[in-house]
Amino acid sequence: MIELNNVCKDYGDTKALKNVSFSVKKGEIIGFVGPNGAGKTTTMKIITTYTAQTSGTASVGGYDVLEDPLNVRRIIGYLPEKVPLYDDMLVSEYLTFIGEARHLNGRFRERYDWVIEACGLESALAKKIGVLSKGFRQRTCLAQALIHDPEVLILDEPTSGLDPIQIIGIRNLIRDLAHEKTIILSTHILPEVANVADRILVINDGEIVGNGSFDELISKVTSKGSVYIAVRSAKKDFETAVKDLPGISDLSYDSTTPRGVVGCHLYHNPKDDIVAALNRIIRDRKWDVLEFHRERLSLEESFIRLTRSQGGVS
Amino acid sequence: MNDTGVIFRREFRAYFYSPIAYVFSVIFIVLNSSLYMFHFFFMGNADMRSFFSTLPLVLGLVFIPAISMRLWSEENKLGTVELLLTLPIKTEHIVLGKYLASLAFYLVALAGTLTIPVLLLILGRPDFGPILGGYFGSVLLGGFFLAIGIFISSFFSDQIVSLIITSLVCGFLTLIGWQYVPMVIDGWIPGLGEFMYNYIGVTRHFNDIERGVIDIRSVIYFLSFTALFLYLNAKALERRKF
Repeated sequence: MIELNNVCKDYGDTKALKNVSFSVKKGEIIGFVGPNGAGKTTTMKIITTYTAQTSGTASVGGYDVLEDPLNVRRIIGYLPEKVPLYDDMLVSEYLTFIGEARHLNGRFRERYDWVIEACGLESALAKKIGVLSKGFRQRTCLAQALIHDPEVLILDEPTSGLDPIQIIGIRNLIRDLAHEKTIILSTHILPEVANVADRILVINDGEIVGNGSFDELISKVTSKGSVYIAVRSAKKDFETAVKDLPGISDLSYDSTTPRGVVGCHLYHNPKDDIVAALNRIIRDRKWDVLEFHRERLSLEESFIRLTRSQGGVS
Repeated sequence: MNDTGVIFRREFRAYFYSPIAYVFSVIFIVLNSSLYMFHFFFMGNADMRSFFSTLPLVLGLVFIPAISMRLWSEENKLGTVELLLTLPIKTEHIVLGKYLASLAFYLVALAGTLTIPVLLLILGRPDFGPILGGYFGSVLLGGFFLAIGIFISSFFSDQIVSLIITSLVCGFLTLIGWQYVPMVIDGWIPGLGEFMYNYIGVTRHFNDIERGVIDIRSVIYFLSFTALFLYLNAKALERRKF
């Protein structure tokens, strides 16, 4: 549905995008993740024909963005990062204008009623856009992107500045639309897309640095497994016990535990079953276990590692 | 054409959302009428020559920049330019729709000055040839200045900057057509003032029409430059993609 081949974009001397290539299949939801300024918005502007790439090709639904922009625009619904709203218009006027500009004609009434329902805009229809709260502004704009029932939805940070309840609302709406529409959803908050997106594209400094399902990406950056254990024992005793465990690569003590308790993060080679081995030691030494769990990278941590891994910080 | 209509309707209505448009229209009508009335009572002639002689300056310096400044600058500021240029509508049609809306607004304000010919008709027996010519010329001149204004406004996101630059450009084009301005310039660089008077200034063309002599060359001058600036506007917007 969406194809980008070696797309580059220069703004003067700065290279905003460097050979970006990816493709999105029909019905897929793509989470487009990267830190601010990584090139997410630029990529989306190229897909929606607002900006032209310096080199490379991009097409949506088989139409080239430079050769045939009108057909591309026809099948895309676009929610830009800066919500494009006319503050002096009423919400109903605004949506009517978009409906006319999108040539809905006979289908207008039905689509209009649908978006108002889907975006929860009933109470705002007769209000001026300028007086709306941020959440309503965002939803009005989302309604604008959905009114023509587009095949492709490009959402640039759709949840920025919203409160948690509104974020869940938008996420649910996106989930409802899934599988009938092709969606690209950008964000700099990884957890936001982790449970909505089929696939995640990670962009950093104008380059695609990760492309795969959430779990695939996580396992890629997680080279070490980690276990946390807290037992009632003397530190020396603990040290001699775990020192010879196979596969332990590193350990770090938790300094916040109370006296007489040893807390420790054990980093190990993911191939070795360190948990079973630890269990045996605990039984042999009759330790009281206070805490014992596998540690998973937090989403934030994996995000940081994903976007830094190219820089060799890993 | 339907697309142009959609843009036109939104744009025309947008003029009436804010009080600025009303304020400027009232200033336009009051300023022109009162400047004229001064002459009218002084000279006591049932014609509108003095009205049409001050009109280009009022249009170029104040009124046209004031109605053209928001056309693109507001879109740039609100970010709605991104919405417009990703709608399935050709850029040319968007430019034309916006332009026609501003032209329509100008015509409404210009129609507000029609009280003067009505007044003349009641008080005396005016020669309607020059008056009709004057209004025809005002439509062409205003249309030309608006095309310059919409073009300039696409480069800025601040309406005031658009207003000032349009005012400078249109004011220059008007003044260069006034006899004594090219004479002064000729005094500095011989020939330059004459050249600008003949080829750049608008007042000469306007005066021809306003005298009731509708010279087809002057009409073509206005229409072709209007079309040129609208074309440049569409190209500038497309160009911005790169």
